[in-house]
Parts: sequence; structure tokens; C-alpha cells
Amino acid sequence: MKQTLASILLTSCLLSAAATAAEPGQVDFNQHVRTILSDRCYKCHGPDSENRQADLRLDQRESALQARAGSGLQVILPGKPARSELYRRITSEDPDVQMPPPASKLELTSAEIEVLDRWIKQGARWDDHWSFQPLQEVTLPAVVQQDWPRNAVDYFVLARLEAAGLAPAGQARREQLIRRLSFDLTGLPPTLAEIDQYLADTRPGSYGRLVDRLLASPAFGERVASIWLDLARYSDTYGYQVDRDRYVWPWRDWVVDAINRNQPYDQFITWQLAGDLLPEATQQQHLATTFNRLHPQKVEGGSTPEEFRVEYVADRNHTFATAFLGLTLECARCHDHKYDPITQRDYYQLFAYFNNIDEAGLYSYFTPSVPTPTLRITDRATRDRLAANRESMGAEQDKLAALATAQQQAFQEWLTNRPGETSIPGQLAHLDFEGFGDGENKGVEGKVGKAVRLSGDAGVGTKVGNFRRFQPFTVACWIQTPDFKERAVIYHRSRAWTDAGSRGYQMLLEEGRLSASLIHFWPGNAIRVRTRTPIPLEQWIHVTMTYDGSSRAGGLKIWIDGQAAETDIVRDNLYKNISGGGGDTITIGERFRDNGFSAGLVDEFKVFDRQLTALEVSQLHDGESLTAALAVPEEDIEGDLRERLKQFYLATLNEPYRTQVKVLEGVRQQQSSLQDGLTEIMTMEELEPRRQSHVLRRGAYDAPTTEVDPGTPAFLPSIKGLSEDRLGLSRWLTTPDHPLTGRVAVNRLWQMCFGNGLVATPEDFGSQGAAPSHPRLLDWLSSEFVTQGWDVKQLIRTLVCSSTYRQKSTVPFQVRSLDPDNELYSRGASYQLSAEMIRDNALAASDLLVTRLGGPSVRPYEVAVSFKPVKQDNGAGLYRRSLYTYWKRTGPAPSMMALDASKRDICVVKRERTSSPVQALVLLNDPQLVEASRVLAHRLVARHGEDIEGIAVEAFRRLTSRRPSAQEAELLVQLCREQREHYSAHPDAAAALLAIGQARPVGELPSDQVAAVAMMVNMLMNFDACVMKK
Amino acid sequence: MRDRRCTGFEPAEGMSRRELLGKFGMGLGGIALADLLAGQADADDGVLDKLHHAPRAKRVIYLFQSGAPSQMDLFDHKPLLKEKHGTELPESVRKGQRLTAMSGNQASLPLAGSPFKFQQHGESGAWLSEILPQTAAVADDLCFIKSMYTEAINHGPAVTFLQTGSQFPGRPSMGAWLKYGLGSANENLPAFVVMVTKNKGGQPLVSRLWGSGFLPSTFQGVRFRSGAEPILYLNNPQGVDAASRKRMLARLKQLHELQLKENRDPEIESRIAQYELAYRMQMSVPEVIDLSDEPEHVFKAYGEDARNPGTFAANCLVARRLAERGVRFIQLYHPGWDQHGNLQGGISNQARETDRASAALVSDLKQRGMLEDTLVIWGGEFGRTNYCQGKLNPNNFGRDHHPRCFSLWMAGGGVKAGTSYGQTDPYCYNVAEDGVHVHDLHATILHLLGIDHERLTFKHQGRNYRLTDVHGNVVKGLLG
Repeated sequence: MKQTLASILLTSCLLSAAATAAEPGQVDFNQHVRTILSDRCYKCHGPDSENRQADLRLDQRESALQARAGSGLQVILPGKPARSELYRRITSEDPDVQMPPPASKLELTSAEIEVLDRWIKQGARWDDHWSFQPLQEVTLPAVVQQDWPRNAVDYFVLARLEAAGLAPAGQARREQLIRRLSFDLTGLPPTLAEIDQYLADTRPGSYGRLVDRLLASPAFGERVASIWLDLARYSDTYGYQVDRDRYVWPWRDWVVDAINRNQPYDQFITWQLAGDLLPEATQQQHLATTFNRLHPQKVEGGSTPEEFRVEYVADRNHTFATAFLGLTLECARCHDHKYDPITQRDYYQLFAYFNNIDEAGLYSYFTPSVPTPTLRITDRATRDRLAANRESMGAEQDKLAALATAQQQAFQEWLTNRPGETSIPGQLAHLDFEGFGDGENKGVEGKVGKAVRLSGDAGVGTKVGNFRRFQPFTVACWIQTPDFKERAVIYHRSRAWTDAGSRGYQMLLEEGRLSASLIHFWPGNAIRVRTRTPIPLEQWIHVTMTYDGSSRAGGLKIWIDGQAAETDIVRDNLYKNISGGGGDTITIGERFRDNGFSAGLVDEFKVFDRQLTALEVSQLHDGESLTAALAVPEEDIEGDLRERLKQFYLATLNEPYRTQVKVLEGVRQQQSSLQDGLTEIMTMEELEPRRQSHVLRRGAYDAPTTEVDPGTPAFLPSIKGLSEDRLGLSRWLTTPDHPLTGRVAVNRLWQMCFGNGLVATPEDFGSQGAAPSHPRLLDWLSSEFVTQGWDVKQLIRTLVCSSTYRQKSTVPFQVRSLDPDNELYSRGASYQLSAEMIRDNALAASDLLVTRLGGPSVRPYEVAVSFKPVKQDNGAGLYRRSLYTYWKRTGPAPSMMALDASKRDICVVKRERTSSPVQALVLLNDPQLVEASRVLAHRLVARHGEDIEGIAVEAFRRLTSRRPSAQEAELLVQLCREQREHYSAHPDAAAALLAIGQARPVGELPSDQVAAVAMMVNMLMNFDACVMKK
Repeated sequence: MRDRRCTGFEPAEGMSRRELLGKFGMGLGGIALADLLAGQADADDGVLDKLHHAPRAKRVIYLFQSGAPSQMDLFDHKPLLKEKHGTELPESVRKGQRLTAMSGNQASLPLAGSPFKFQQHGESGAWLSEILPQTAAVADDLCFIKSMYTEAINHGPAVTFLQTGSQFPGRPSMGAWLKYGLGSANENLPAFVVMVTKNKGGQPLVSRLWGSGFLPSTFQGVRFRSGAEPILYLNNPQGVDAASRKRMLARLKQLHELQLKENRDPEIESRIAQYELAYRMQMSVPEVIDLSDEPEHVFKAYGEDARNPGTFAANCLVARRLAERGVRFIQLYHPGWDQHGNLQGGISNQARETDRASAALVSDLKQRGMLEDTLVIWGGEFGRTNYCQGKLNPNNFGRDHHPRCFSLWMAGGGVKAGTSYGQTDPYCYNVAEDGVHVHDLHATILHLLGIDHERLTFKHQGRNYRLTDVHGNVVKGLLG
């Protein structure tokens, strides 16, 4: 095991006092002491007020200096360990006195005790936690070896090296530099031509030009995006158990593009957190907010939606904290943070920012609806057509209104000559329930003859009702409820409730009130109106729902006993179809996994394919309103009755008016079809009014306590004066004096170039995280980054142009052991390439790589053999960069997983690096790499023929970017010879090997030779110099 | 442990390698063939220096029954339910507890007695359903827990909870914790092997159930597949036979050694070892899954299914072979226990597929003297409702999910054989006595393996995480 953190820090403290700005031998509180106190003591004596013991906190000086009642000693008496209660406790052998208590299993090592001893001796100086302090103004440290530093980075690194008595390693060879740079900045190896060009460029500034070329390459965006995708927990599927596909790749393409445009980092994160809230937000700014929706989502039947909705908000909150603040917020979900000054209330104040979108806890099982809120992706032409349609809908609506006036004469004539009787046109169905007997749904005495009494567990079906949202319709019936219903389905046209996102339309009882809705996906894509008062119990009432085809809540009405009921608009945001998804006809009294209308009565159920007028609705209720109105002598018809008769006449008898109704429907249909066809992607969109957030007891979704409003933790800069929404939060995050945002970003970019961050725990800049190895360097870089406009490319340029970066990575073993983990940067970084780089390297080296940018994710060979196999692509999809490999959370690409790719379940800012035999098996046997081997072999044989040495050298160069030594070349040649011998004797084996994969290089070549060379290439793909960054 | 506390940002694998290098002075490249070929060389490379106490079990075979087997139709005999068959679940029993959204909105919740006969078996007098005749025959070797409970009401979260100690994704699985803590006892085989019964529908399983969560990925379970290639990419590609591969690997080693000669680089030493391990894994794995050397009586015991790779029976037999070869954690999954409807037919089929082989595995281990240090666990992710989901038809009804109580059995590895622990109420709705929470089960399993569940930790995001989170008590009543 690695040495404990404390002992390493102690060592570095002793070795490198100059670099930490402390006096020689001086213990630094932040670097050395806080880590120990935090890890071993804060659990009971830290920020968490609820679980604090003995009213003692060791994260605050005042508390730690108090005298204790028992011993009379101060907890800490500066300068006098022997007279400090703390020291007495940590050195005691008595289990009743000993701290940490033996039962806590948090033993201190002797090295750690020594640090505390020295710290108290030296006066027990307390400093606030380093990362919560503003960036320090830093001057470059003095160094001895003046000719080494190329830029500021090097002064800081060299000062520490010199303090430790070490010297930097020499500069790496140019072949190595171009390989290292190409992978770090583009994720791809240099081509042979690029290597030759760089080697030939002996003019001054060649390195800088190389850096600039790589930073300008579109592959740069892909490389940085591959890191950002881990952080954003990007996945092409929803995750959890069912794990369906989802459409989110346009966001990934936005990321690549934004990085390639070198969008300033403050804007880059503002767009992602709050692009929708920017003034006059563009489609791209909306799209960027998909970032917040990339968490896993649930569909499993029977789940409690609110439980998962809360989980989504929590995920957004944690991601925000990990990615941008480097804070571990999770702890504070259930109680005050044990190590950092984050209260549980702080947690839910931040939570409130992300708790304000109109989303569901479950996505839809039966329909492919995109969980709301969504952005409809449009191009200019579509936007123009939508606007044109909107205009003509308005125009046709106006025409209809004008016709009401223009047809006055015709109405008058009809009034004079009207028939005494008429029927209500457009009736599609009428259920009278007379045939119902003693079944589960019983025939009982009804309003007219028999009614049905519903069991609540079985529905009564109909054969009608598959309306589209541009079609007007009416549903009417008598109902009687036996009791107050919190929720009951009276009737609906849908497949299911949450399992179908409620797609369709429905009449429900909610909290005793009538609730009518048309829904594409509840809640964010729907209209709903609800009566203000509960309906009476144990009493027949007549209920009608009329709809005008407008997709607006204003066009949806509930009528009780023939009168328009007073309603509230609950939702008014329907922008997609209500049809499809199954359950095409109306069912009465029951719905899949919903609350049925148990013991409710229904009678005289009628469906019409038009929006009935008021008079007709009254007629359905009382059986006489219309008939009576038609019988009223003309001279007595005035006021309201006249208006109602006119509506009836126009809607049912006036040809021009009825024609115009159809015309309007036609335009609405056009608009609906256009909208229904638009692709949607999950984004953010604020709810008005804001959803109230609460502190949740123990983090449980069903245990809300105190109300909280959006806000940020008190130990960070104030957010006063900024808007209480995600935009305000982003503004706060990107103020230049924010202590964390810049440091966290710079640290990650450093990690991208050097393998490890200056803070080794990029996910935790808090008290439990690692202290920075070069705090002043981090502050210097962060200040530069922020004041230079958050310029990512410029920062990377600074890092890779340093002498520190250009060092060679291979040093004599004895030198290496002086800085075994390279924490002092005494040599260049060396570690295994990422999963993406290893595969992309093989594709690039064999010229198979298809470099097209962006588009839908692709399915290379490996996804067909994952735990959740999906059909692989044919052709180009097999050879795209690994950034584009389809990512399925429940069965991720197996080769990439073996090679330490992130699982993408949660925000991850640092990948693990492991070495396992399974990795070797992937590199040896994965068809992707075997195919690349044989394709490259084909090219090499085609070019060099029988010149085995030429083949060996080129293969070696393509895969390692350098020339082989004579010995290495000799080995390769021998390998080729013996393999050729083997394949000459086994032509079938050669043919089988050369048949792996789809690529078919042109030209007939001796297959024994190609197979032999393929084995050599395959071996090189497993060679250290090929898979390691050096 | 003190000095081996993992700081959480250095892969533990690196540490053990470095230790080995230190131990052998000259590095792995040199020692590999001499010492590791035996497979059993100093391979106990876990993070724990030494166990916290004397272990009772050295390995675990977990026969996970996915979908949630119905406790009152298999293990938990409830005559009262037969009496009350068809009557409503009393509110006094349910006490307003949350139900799943699948039956929670039903207007009626009629109680349903088990359609199966129960009898007592063995000296211990264990009550078992008629559909588990073979299990009944080994009842005296088993320790039944009747009082398991969980909080999760749905498969995804519940299986995740049992396998990782958390309902939500992101934590390491039990096998990953064990590999992290104890390392591997045979470097030629993965320390943590997963097998899923083939051709079963049922609730989808996901790879995170045997994932490493925030532990480095080397700790994740390796899935053995039932086809021609038991581990993905284990086989040489078509057209590459053992001889040509061996020659190629020899050249690769030479190439690496050339690098080493130039400069002693521990990374290269480690890579040489990695390829030697991979090569030996290629040799060892096919040998384990090749059942041709098993005698006839073994197939008789496990059932004819055992001849058919990928069946539960075959997986049980492979599990025994893996256990013999020192594999630390062997996880089987048998899906299909989710009887929302057609309980009678469905659960009888499931029992038929698992009963004989599960019992045979216990007897087989016992016969070989391995049961005493092999812990076998049989059970699902939660229980099922005592009331019927949907309509209560005489010959076709179903049961919904029920987190408040379920049954599970363990055998060997230091558990008390021939006992039953804990009780449910007569309705089989609530735990009446000695509840065993999922965290308690985990604490107990770790205890049997010699691990204090509070001391096997990994620092992640600033916090020391463990399998049992901040909960869990060792259930002393289960220990033999």
C-alpha cells in the first residue's frame, strides 16, 4: 500500500519546507494537520452539530482552546503538548480515555501523532481551509537552476525539486514529445508525416507551432469532451434497470464544438447550468442545459415517482458540487457535513436551484415520449414554417369570429323558420349500461334505467375516442361518487398512468375535484383544467368535457349539470400528440396501475366528435334545454338565450361557419403534424411559480421538514443580489473571486496533461481531500486562468509548453525511487493511455479511423458482446473514435470498461488506473484490434513487399511513434519469420485470421505473409511503448 | 490495517504489486514463472494485512434468486393464510405501509393462502413446501432466516441493495469488497466470478450488480458466459492457435525485457506479469468449465441439466469447481421468481430448476469437506405479498413485491446448521421476532469471512465507505 497521506506529507514537509512557504521544519496546518483532524476527529468533533460529542469542535480554534471540565486542561495549549488534553488523549493507552476511541476504528499512526505533537509545540497555528480562501497573490519563487524554467510553472516545480535536493529530468526526445502532445491534446497518435515534419522543423518555436496546430485540430474538442462526458455522466441510455435508449448526443456534439471554439470556461459552464435562462436564449444555449438531465432515469413498474424525482434533483446537485466546486455534497443530504462546513440546510438550498423543472419521476414505459422539459430541435426553415402556421391559425380563427357576425342574417332567417325539434349531431357512442348484470362491474339503478357500479379494478371499454389533439370532441356522462376520492379515474383514453406518461386524455377525480387533461407526457407536455370545488358526494351529477382542438387549456372545458364549471388551469403546455402509445379507445372506471373509480356510478355515457355548444351540453343534462329553446317564440328570444341559440345554429347548421371550422382544424392539423415530427431533447426550463423545496429528514423523499429557498453555503462568497435561479447560481460560480471554480477547473486541466492533479483528489477540495502538492502554483495558474478570460486553450498551452511537461519520463531507477509517485514532477508523466486512446490509436495506426465529427453514437464490435448486447453497426460505425461509442449503462462497452473507462453512472472527474489480465486479453483478442492488426499488416505488405525490415520499422513507428532499436527490429523480424513459417504451413489459419472484421483492403497479397505481419502488429499493440504514455 | 489504510486515490492493485516487487527484490518479471505458475503463490494480495478475527468461511457461493421468491410458498409456513383465503388484508396488519404502484391502487387486497402443502423435515423439523423436495432432504445442513427485511419495493433498487449495500447505483458489490479486502487465492482465475442462468426471462439484471462501484475496476466480478468463450476475449482469435500465440507472447516478453535491460522500470515489470497472468488464465478457465472429468454420479446428483452449460445446475457444478480452486466469491443469478401472476405454475417451474442442484451443491461440498469453510447463500431481493395481486382466481393468482419480510437460507461457512432464525407474524406480513436487515446480513457474511464490517473501508469523496454504510450488526444467532 502507498504510504499514508500523512506520512507522505510529513516527508514532503521535511524535505521541502521552502516550497510550502513555511519555516524549515514548520508544520503547516492546512497541509499536514487538518487532514489528520478531519479524517480521525471531525466525525464527532467537527461541523456536524447533530452528532457532535462533548460540545467540542476541532475545526474551530476557539472551541479547541477551551478548558475541559474533567482534567482542567485546555484541549490544546499552544506550545505545550504535555499540557493539552488532546495530546493526552491521543497518546493514552487507557481505552476509556484514548482518542479516537478504539471502537471508532480510526487509529492514529505514530507519524500522525508526531505531526500533532510538533504542531502544538510550534504554537498550534490555525488556518482556514485553503481552498475556501480567495486565490492568493503569488510571486514566482527563487530557483537556482536559472536556465531550466521556460515559464512560471517551472519556477514553482523547480523550487520544490531543489528544496528536496532533486534535479529535473532532461527533455524527452522529440519523437516522444510529439507523441505525448498528440495524445494529451487530441487523443490520437501523430501520423508518420507529422512526426517527420516536426523532426525536420529545426527553426526556433517548432514546439510552440506544434502545440498550436494540435490545439486548433478538431480532434482537440473530442479529446477534452471525452473527459467532460465522464464528468457529465453522459450515456446513450437512461440507466437503472430497464435502461432504454435516449436521445442526447446533440449535447455531446455541442460540447465538442464549444471546446473547439474555445468558448471561455465561465460561459461554457454557465450555458450548461443555465443556458435556458440567458436573455433571448438561443437553441444552442438551451441545448447546453441537457447537461443537467444526463443522470440515470427510472421506468421500472411499480416505482414511487417522487422517490426518483428527488433522486434526479439530488444527482444534479451532487454533479454541480463535484464538477464545479470540488465539494462532496452527498454527506449533507442526511445531516450536516461531518468534515466541511456544509450544513444540511445548505444542501437543500442548493438543491432548490435544481428542483424547479416540470419533470416526472419516471419516464414512460409504453411510449417513447421524451421526459419533460424538452427542447424541440428545429432548423430555420422549420421555425419559419411553424411561425407561418401560427399566423394562419390566427387568421383562420379571426375568420371564424368574423363569420359569426357575417352570418347574422342567415341566423335570423333560421330563427324565423327553425324546426321545432332537432338532435345533437356528431354522436359516436352512447353507453346506457342497461345490459349490466351482477358482474364485477354491476348493473344498478341509475339515472336513466340502469347505471354501472364500478369495481375500480376492472374497466368498461368502449370502441371510440381515438381523437387527435387538433380534433374537437366532447365526452359526457352522469356520475355519482360514494365518497371523497383523493384520486380516481372516471374515464380515459390512454394505455396507462405513469407507465405511459399518461399519454392521451382523461377525466379524473383529484382531491374530490374534476380534472380534465390532454397529455403527451405528464407533467411538462400537457393541458389540464380542474374544478375549484369538490363535487358533491352520493349524488348524481352530469359531467361534460368539451375540447376545441386548439391544444390550449383555454379550449378545454368542464361542465357540471349543464353549466360551465369554474376551473383553474393546472397546465397549459401541450406541444406534441396525445395519440399513440396504445389504449386507443375510452375505458371507464379503471386504468393500469392507477386508482379506479371504485364503487362509483356512471350512466348515459356519450362521446361526440365535435365540441358541443352550451345549449347542447345543457340538453344532455336536462333533456330539454335545447328542445325548449327551439320552442321559444322568436320575439321572446334575447340576450343569453339568443347567443346560445346562435352558437348552436352556427356550429351545427350554418354551412360557411362549419366549413370554416374544418378549415381551422386543417391548419391546426398541419401545425400539429409539424410539431409532432420535431425531435426533442431533455433540457432545463424553469417552473413558474417556483416549486417549494424543503429540508428532507434523513434525505428521504417523503419526509419534508423546513421550507428552504435557493441559496449558497455561508463559508463561500455571498450570492446576495443575484437572481434566485440557476442563472444567479452560475453568475455566483463564475465571479472572479470565487475561491473554488478556477482552482477546480485548473486542477482538472493539469490532470489531463500530467495524469494527476496538483490536488490529487479532484473531486474533493474539502477538508478530507488531498492538500495541493504545489498550492502556490495552483493559485498562480488559477489567477491567470480567471484574469485571462477563462481561456482553456491558453491554459493548456501554458502547461504543455513548460519544461516540467517536456521532461523525459524514463529516469534511472535510483532517481525514480527518490520521487516514486512523481509527486514533485521530477520526470515526465508515465501511465497507461485511456481506453479511448488505446482503441483510437489502433484505428489510426491502421488507417481505419473514420474521423468524422459528431452524430449519433455508433456501435462497434464490442457492444454486440456486452452484458446487454446490441446489434453492431456495419461500415463506418465500426471505425469512429471511441468518444462516439454507444454507451449503455447496464452493459457498457466491455473493452472500454476493462481499460478503466468511467461507468458514467455518476459524475466522475478522475479515472482509476488498473492493470489486470483481462486488459491483456482485450488487447490480444478483441476483434477490433485484431482487425486493425491485419489491416495494417496488409498495408505494410502492400508497401514493402518482402522487405521485412521495412515492414517492422514502419509498424513500430506507426504504433509507438519512434524507430525501433536494432535489437528491437531484429526481434520483430524474427517474429515475422517464425510466424510466416507457421502460416505457410497452415493456410487455413491464415485465411481465418485475415477474415476477422469487416474491412477488406484492396489487392491480393500472400496471405501467409500478411497473417505473419498481423501477428507482429498485434504484438506491438500489446507493447508497453504502444499503450503507455511516456 | 493501520498502515494499509487506503487513501482512496491510489489503486490498491498498484500497492500490492509494489509490495510483491519489494518482497522479491528483483521484480515480478523475474519471479513470475517460478512462483506464480503454481497459481497459489503469495496471492492473498488484499488490502487487509490480516483478518480481523479467525474466519469461519474462506469463500462464498451466493445463489441469488432474482425476482424475489415467495417466502410463504417455499419456506415460511402460514396456515392462517389458508384459513383467511379470500378475505381482505386487515388494515391492522398493513398499518398504512407503502405498497408498490402495481397493486397499491387496487380497490381490493384479498389474502391468498399457499396452494402448496408444507411438511416438516429432518431432525431439525424444518417446514418446507412440497415443491422443494431436495432442499428438504438437506434441511439439517441449512440455516433458514425467516425474518429478512429490506426497504426497497422494486427489483432494481432491491437487488442493488442486496448486492452493494445501497439501493442506488454507484457502490461496490459484495464480491468486489471481498476481492479488495482479501485478494485472490488463485491468480490464475478471477477472484470474483459471476454466472447467470441462460435463457431466462424475468427481471433484467445489470452489470453493476457485480461492478466495482468506486473501487478500481479490477475488483469487479468477471462474468463467465455459457457459450464457447467463457470470459470475453479469453480465446485466441480465429486463425491464431496456441503455438503461434505462445511464440508471439515470448517475443513480446523479450521486447519488454529489452526495455527493462535499458532501464529498470516497475511499470514494465508489471506489464510482463500481466501477460503471464493472462496467459495462465487462458489455460485455467477452460479447464474449470470443462465438466468431462466429472463422474456420472455427480450429474445424477446435480441433475441432467448439469450437462447443459449455462443452466442453473451446470452453474452450480462450475461453482463447486471454482470453489475447489480457491475462487473467493462465486455469484450465481437465477432470474424468474417474479410471480405477479400465475404463481402456482411459475414458482413450481422455478423450484424445479433450482431445487435439486442447490441441494446437491450443499451435499457435494459437504462430502468433499469443503462445506465447513464455504458459505452458501440462497435467496432473493425481497418477499412477496400475502395478498393477491389482481383477481384471486383459484388456479391462477399472483403476489406483488413485499419488503417487510422474506426468507433466505445459508449453509456451511460457520452458520448454525439445522436451524431457523427469526419469525414473521401469522399473516406473513411483518417480522415478529429477530429481524435481519440487509445490512445485518452483510455484516454477518463479512464476519464469517473474518472481517469486521466496520473496518473494511475505502475512502471515496472524502469519506470512508464500507459495504454496510453506517449500519449493520452481526447476527450472533446465525453463527454456529
